[in-house]
Amino acid sequence: MADTALVTMTISELAPKIKAKAISPVELTEAVLAQVDRLQPVLNSFITILHDQARRQAREQEAALMRGEYRGPLHGIPIGIKDNIATAGIRTTVGSKVFTDYVPEEDAYVVSRCKEAGAIMIGKENLEEFAAGSTSNNLHYGAVHNPWNLDHIPGGSSGGGGANVAACVTFASLGTDLGGSVRGPANFCGVVGLKQTYGRVSQRGLLVTSFNGDHIGPITRSVQDSALMLQAIAGYDPLDPSTVPVPVPDFSALLGQELRGLKMGIPSNYYFDIIEPEVDTAVRQAIAALEALGVEAREVALPSMQYAGALRIAGMADSVVTHEPYLKTHRHDYGPTVLYRTLAGQFVLGRDYAKALKVQRLIKEEYARVLQDVDFLVTPASPVAAWRIDTETVALDGTAYPVRGPGAGMTARCTSPSNATGLPAMSIPCGFTRAGLPIGLQLIGRPFEEARLFQVAHGYEAVSPSRQRRPALVETG
Amino acid sequence: MSIPNETLQAMIRSYHGFALTDDELELVRPELESYLQEVEKLRELALANVMSGRLLQAQEGGTP
Repeated sequence: MADTALVTMTISELAPKIKAKAISPVELTEAVLAQVDRLQPVLNSFITILHDQARRQAREQEAALMRGEYRGPLHGIPIGIKDNIATAGIRTTVGSKVFTDYVPEEDAYVVSRCKEAGAIMIGKENLEEFAAGSTSNNLHYGAVHNPWNLDHIPGGSSGGGGANVAACVTFASLGTDLGGSVRGPANFCGVVGLKQTYGRVSQRGLLVTSFNGDHIGPITRSVQDSALMLQAIAGYDPLDPSTVPVPVPDFSALLGQELRGLKMGIPSNYYFDIIEPEVDTAVRQAIAALEALGVEAREVALPSMQYAGALRIAGMADSVVTHEPYLKTHRHDYGPTVLYRTLAGQFVLGRDYAKALKVQRLIKEEYARVLQDVDFLVTPASPVAAWRIDTETVALDGTAYPVRGPGAGMTARCTSPSNATGLPAMSIPCGFTRAGLPIGLQLIGRPFEEARLFQVAHGYEAVSPSRQRRPALVETG
Repeated sequence: MSIPNETLQAMIRSYHGFALTDDELELVRPELESYLQEVEKLRELALANVMSGRLLQAQEGGTP
């Protein structure tokens, strides 16, 4: 089979062929490494590439198969890991100069789970410095480029993962999402990004993170693959008190079931208030497509979202405390956008921090009430499509919004609320702008009902105008 | 509402914060102004009876 035919497959297509020994993990890994070597100079999507380790793991996985030890759908599948997730014996930079030589002694919990499932680690993926931003234009390791248009950002902070999955460099990537850092790159790169319910997946081994609202989640090329990845990493971790001891269901159980009878909520405020017309049109068309599939649409109001900006207050204070030890010793190693955005947090008053937490609770209650009446919400994944790498501001309705550093935040306004509520949310492709850049739809579900989200996303995926579309460089370089 | 540099410098000194020159304070200011705008929106919002956000979480502990 030609290399391009191999690397453009999905995990769910590959898994039965690997199980049947029709495709070998070694052959697949070599095809992927060839794609890595061809596209890394173009995309700059990795900080560390693990040629030797990947080949060794592939041989081990192939040997296991030959012994009859099939480990499941991730067996022999090459994946990428964002470089703020700890990997034993492999440097983990967090996209920073501060950690440029840091080599963890242990794998993050999710990395261990992927290894146990037979996945092959191809490399550590580029990201925004300290995962703090939505451009992946990294001062220390260079900008990641969007495979659909190399002059544009891939989104962030898990930009390397989004670019790699879209460009068929990896079959899946593990990213992290504190305000949309999985769903954003998925949206901007035209692939599927999942932030599952807070507490569903262990954060142990996620470096320099927030204690409030961070998640490790998968980026994949299909909804079915997203369910397979979540299956591998979900579960209670007794060493991470943020995980919740709830049963882990079969996340693929509802795939293919018809959507007729489900109810979707379309927010009448906040999510569509600031939006590029092309994005608005594509998302409205996706809503119409869901209605055509039998989903009942209901308008829902989320009045407390007028205070959603307050959610950032807690994040500001949290960020300065998270960075405090590194700022004391390595301040000069910080890039200015992260440094000054972080240092603003030292002026947040405790009273305001407590108010922000109470606003978080108000908003959680409101979503809980709304989700009693509908099964899920539909929103844009971002108000805008990917902007140029050299852009400092994006203009919407005559207002210029900064997209980097202090004051930035508009581009994540549709994704960040689900970090505060903890609700599962995913971004799936729903079309393109006239300039050929991807547009994403966001689905938000009830706590621990990821299987329902997968059902809806899978049903929509089959009729999405993005289906079967790939960036031209996948084949041509 | 804007906080003068002198006030911010006094806060840094009194609360053992990270030192910032006046030029650096200008770089911090967009984030700070955004914070103050959000605080202003909360001024009339009644929050006294809002309960802990933890109550919406599933029960912790026990056997998975």
